[in-house]
Amino acid sequence: MSDQPKPANAENVVVEKELSFGPVHPALIEPYRIRLFVNDEIVEDCEINMNMVYRGVEKLLEGLPVERALLITEKVCGICSNVHAWNSVRVIEEGLKIDVPERANYIRTLTHEVQRITSHLIFFGHAFEVVGHETFAMRSFLLRETFMDILAYVGGNRVMPSVPIIGGIRPRADLTEGLKRAILERVDEFEKKYTEYVNRIVADPLVMSRLTGVGLLSKADAIKYHATGPTGRASGWDFDLRRDMKEYKSFDYNIIVLQDCDNKARVVQRALEIVESLKIIRQAVKNLPEGPVVNRSWIAGRMDFYTALLESYRGELMHSYALDGQGMIRSYKIRTPTPANLAAMEKACVGDHVTDAILTIASCDPCLACCTRAEVVESGRGRVMSDTEIIRKYGWRR
Amino acid sequence: MTLKATARRNAIHAMLFYSGGCNGCDIEAVNALLSPRYDVEQYKVLWTWNPREADVLVVSGIIAWQMLEPLKKFYAIIPEPKAVVAIGSCPINGNVYKNMVGDIGVNEEIFAPLESIIPVDVKVPGCPPRPEDIIAGVVKALPKILEAP
Ligand code: SF4
Repeated sequence: MSDQPKPANAENVVVEKELSFGPVHPALIEPYRIRLFVNDEIVEDCEINMNMVYRGVEKLLEGLPVERALLITEKVCGICSNVHAWNSVRVIEEGLKIDVPERANYIRTLTHEVQRITSHLIFFGHAFEVVGHETFAMRSFLLRETFMDILAYVGGNRVMPSVPIIGGIRPRADLTEGLKRAILERVDEFEKKYTEYVNRIVADPLVMSRLTGVGLLSKADAIKYHATGPTGRASGWDFDLRRDMKEYKSFDYNIIVLQDCDNKARVVQRALEIVESLKIIRQAVKNLPEGPVVNRSWIAGRMDFYTALLESYRGELMHSYALDGQGMIRSYKIRTPTPANLAAMEKACVGDHVTDAILTIASCDPCLACCTRAEVVESGRGRVMSDTEIIRKYGWRR
Repeated sequence: MTLKATARRNAIHAMLFYSGGCNGCDIEAVNALLSPRYDVEQYKVLWTWNPREADVLVVSGIIAWQMLEPLKKFYAIIPEPKAVVAIGSCPINGNVYKNMVGDIGVNEEIFAPLESIIPVDVKVPGCPPRPEDIIAGVVKALPKILEAP
């Protein structure tokens, strides 16, 4: 902003150009810093600084036996713990060709979709808190408890269910007949309340007028800034990794794509995705195949760099690592969806009133806990190096 | 009960400070303090974001170095009497992030335990603790505030 030409009467006009807040602020549940460059209350540019909670997870994983990695990867993020645990075991399963029993795949998918619903309901809670409609926020937290209970039934913990392990799932997370019946009952009960809830949101003129037409992110911009997950799909970009995942081949569901590109589209996108997740949960419980849940006949050995991609709740998640001769992890890399969405958020804020900026950022559903990471900038060229370049230049032990 | 304690009892405010960690405790605390199912307001504890108004500081997460200074600052401007509740294994001992016996050994990026930075009154272990436990922890910290001179 500093290189802008000064207005002619620069001495007389007081222009407040920068509005910055964070890391601890009522509107931001997580610590990050936002700088809004405003001109007459219209946002001209936005900058989100996310490096507030660096924990060094990738470094900690270096040199651990591969079974121990699950302890940390699950705790990368507390909203999507199952995603990280699942994807970290998918790397070695696909890299070393370990068979996973079909029953285990079904239960993994079930946990994944249950957690997708809890994650989307947190999104509603946060978004309506920012809109200022406390009742809707409270209701979404209340609805969410159904699925927290299901996670606790299945995995034993509300937030960290620890379901996947290498070669299958933990035997304690196997579904019994009584549990299956309980899940179906709770899901039916939830669907009735949820339909009422969504109907009330859509029928509320004040909330809808606050959301409609604000925070536009066109399809071209979504692709240009690599928006991923529901944020990209709400802008008309039809991209969902679930199509290519073999775990999802046996389920019947739709992939929602909306064309509206605004905040309303992003809220409605997630509302509709919950309905599709309910379908998958029902199918997984009803068609659950019989058989073992874990395959223990595998040996960790040397594995080349392998990358697994998974459609998490906010978009595309990448985990990749290599194993050395003793089965120790080398060069763990995690790329979460939020860094990909950050640029899209910054773009979507521009051109709107300053009061809508936080709403727009919240509507892209940022999850900052897992996205803090290091970058290597090549000196001289001022360019961020890609992962493969870093590995080629510095080797595995950086 | 003294007059002071009676007066204070109706105006207890809790503030959540997220200092790193994985978000799990954070959302369970929001759940405990705010959501309709687990309701800490039944013990007359209210939720605030303003440190000058707060009585109980609820800390979650390992303390990342960018959050170290804000934490000290926040602790300093909370008026006396004040109590600190550490929720989750993260502020108590650093959890898995402190030392996983990998190649780097002890992680020097994080500043857990919290006790080495500010005095802690109540510890609620668990990863994450259940919302009921968080409520119990906050309620346990109340006598310190009520009975302070
Ligand atoms: S204690 Fe566990 S759930 Fe809580 S912030 Fe730490 S890792 Fe996350």
